[in-house]
Amino acid sequence: MKRILEVKNLQVDLPTANGTLRAVRGIDLHVNQGEMLCIVGESGCGKSMTSMALMGLLPKRAAITAEAMEFDGMDLLSLSKKERNQVRGMRMSMIFQEPMTSLNPSYTLGNQLCEGIIKHKGLSREKAKERAVYLLERAGVPYPEKRLNQYPHQLSGGLRQRVMIAMALMCEPDLIIADEPTTALDVTIQAQILRLIRELQQEFGTAVIFITHDLGVVARIADRVAVMYAGQVVETASAEALFANPLHPYTQGLLNCIPIPGKTKPGSHLASIPGVVPSLIGELKGCAFENRCSVSTSECRRRTPNLAIKPSSADHQVRCPEVSLSFQEAV
Amino acid sequence: MPDYALELSNLSRHFYLKNGAFKEPTLLKAVDGISLRIRPGETLGLVGESGCGKSTLAKMILGLLEPTDGDVLVNDKVRGASSRLAMARQLQPIFQDPYSSLNPRKTIEKIIRLPLQLHKVGDSNSQRKAVKEISDLVGLPERLLKQYPGQLSGGQRQRVAIARALILRPSILVCDEPTSALDVSVQAQILNLLMDLKKELNLTYLFISHNLGVVEHLVDRVAVMYRGKLVEQGTREEIFHHAKHPYTQALLSSVLTPDPALGVPEVLDSSSWDKAS
Repeated sequence: MKRILEVKNLQVDLPTANGTLRAVRGIDLHVNQGEMLCIVGESGCGKSMTSMALMGLLPKRAAITAEAMEFDGMDLLSLSKKERNQVRGMRMSMIFQEPMTSLNPSYTLGNQLCEGIIKHKGLSREKAKERAVYLLERAGVPYPEKRLNQYPHQLSGGLRQRVMIAMALMCEPDLIIADEPTTALDVTIQAQILRLIRELQQEFGTAVIFITHDLGVVARIADRVAVMYAGQVVETASAEALFANPLHPYTQGLLNCIPIPGKTKPGSHLASIPGVVPSLIGELKGCAFENRCSVSTSECRRRTPNLAIKPSSADHQVRCPEVSLSFQEAV
Repeated sequence: MPDYALELSNLSRHFYLKNGAFKEPTLLKAVDGISLRIRPGETLGLVGESGCGKSTLAKMILGLLEPTDGDVLVNDKVRGASSRLAMARQLQPIFQDPYSSLNPRKTIEKIIRLPLQLHKVGDSNSQRKAVKEISDLVGLPERLLKQYPGQLSGGQRQRVAIARALILRPSILVCDEPTSALDVSVQAQILNLLMDLKKELNLTYLFISHNLGVVEHLVDRVAVMYRGKLVEQGTREEIFHHAKHPYTQALLSSVLTPDPALGVPEVLDSSSWDKAS
């Protein structure tokens, strides 16, 4: 399968008053054509920073370095501003969390939907409107022609998110980054929107990076999953492998602390992960999860672990010395 | 012991939305004739989508909003018959967002102690002692008492909010989405704490949430709200295993358990339950 995106050792540093905040600490990612990669993690783990770095939307003061950040053979970091603008919107597009704030309240939806394709592909206004109506219809927006002349405030949250999805698909991008697109929505609407994203993704063959904190959502839509903690990927695998056999203590902890209807005994004590996420300002020595981990040893404090590959399946990688030790024993 | 810790009889709140100077205002029935009873020591879960009137209901129970019609009875007494202070001693809130519900310019100790000062309970020594005791109970380390909310994590802040709610030893807590602003690993800590406190202090909870996994774990009975009305209520067993109303069924079918084999469920369109309600 063709790789559409390849990221090696991506680092994002943000200067703050208390020192440099190392938000992303060397992550490796790849996305294949037409694939759904879910990045999951708690707040502050660097998942949104990663997506903003890929889109080139980080503020100027953020320092981005990477050994490689290639999109379809292009080195994203060496592109000029103009070239980057061409890629963004036309070949990579984004769906944000808050459909309330990501649409401009003072322009009609038609205006916002058509702006990109007219600019990037030089389509006429009529042709652009035709495509907008087609995509709004595919995204399940009733009365698509009428919507073109409406403003964002005239639509409900669910409808606005459908408009955002249609907008992301306007230029037939190769990659869509969706940053918590259903978090602000009600559960019934969330299920409808997830279904829609999955359907359209398969129909148009678009690769999607789906960023979320909800493991339930991940399990239902992902092809592959990357679990992030404190700016690093701690475990990555196919969705089936990750949920059937989570290896990293953090992944196991996350899965154990969600009450699951029908499985968790009501009223029973829930497992929780003790402690809090370490500060990301300055260097972290050793494993970032060490202070909250149930299997950590003194070795974990001294050495920063690398991603180790599970012997039986090359796709399943985990950043934990204790787990990789068991790999060596197995071999 | 009162028969019911909390009783709502035909509670309504209507709003008039202005449509401009010369047009008739639109009537919005945010809460429309809701009757509910919660026994002492019981946990009632209130679920429904955003805008269904859950929070308006909570505000009326807390006395932050006057009902258009109907009564709120707290421990068998009508709210309004006794003073606000007397009500506050029996009923306390925990809000969703611990980032905005705590005053950023007061130390944690002052925040937790304020209810005691307002109610003139004890002298400053006994108040300090009470703050230490309650912080212990909710798992707040003593060193945090001198700090400000900005220095605390989300989970710690929600513990502060719980300590402040409990320091007057009320019998009822109204929890409006108490864990939805928290990460899942922290959510579990707070849910465990709420369950422990309930056993220890024999509390009654009205637990408002849109997270059905959390609701099933915590509550004895469930009430489902849709567009200001109660569409279904019953025991946990009845609602989660034998739901009758199509809206409740749609809510339950959209719960996403971490099971990759299942895929995204197909959820019916709202027209199917609009007809039923």
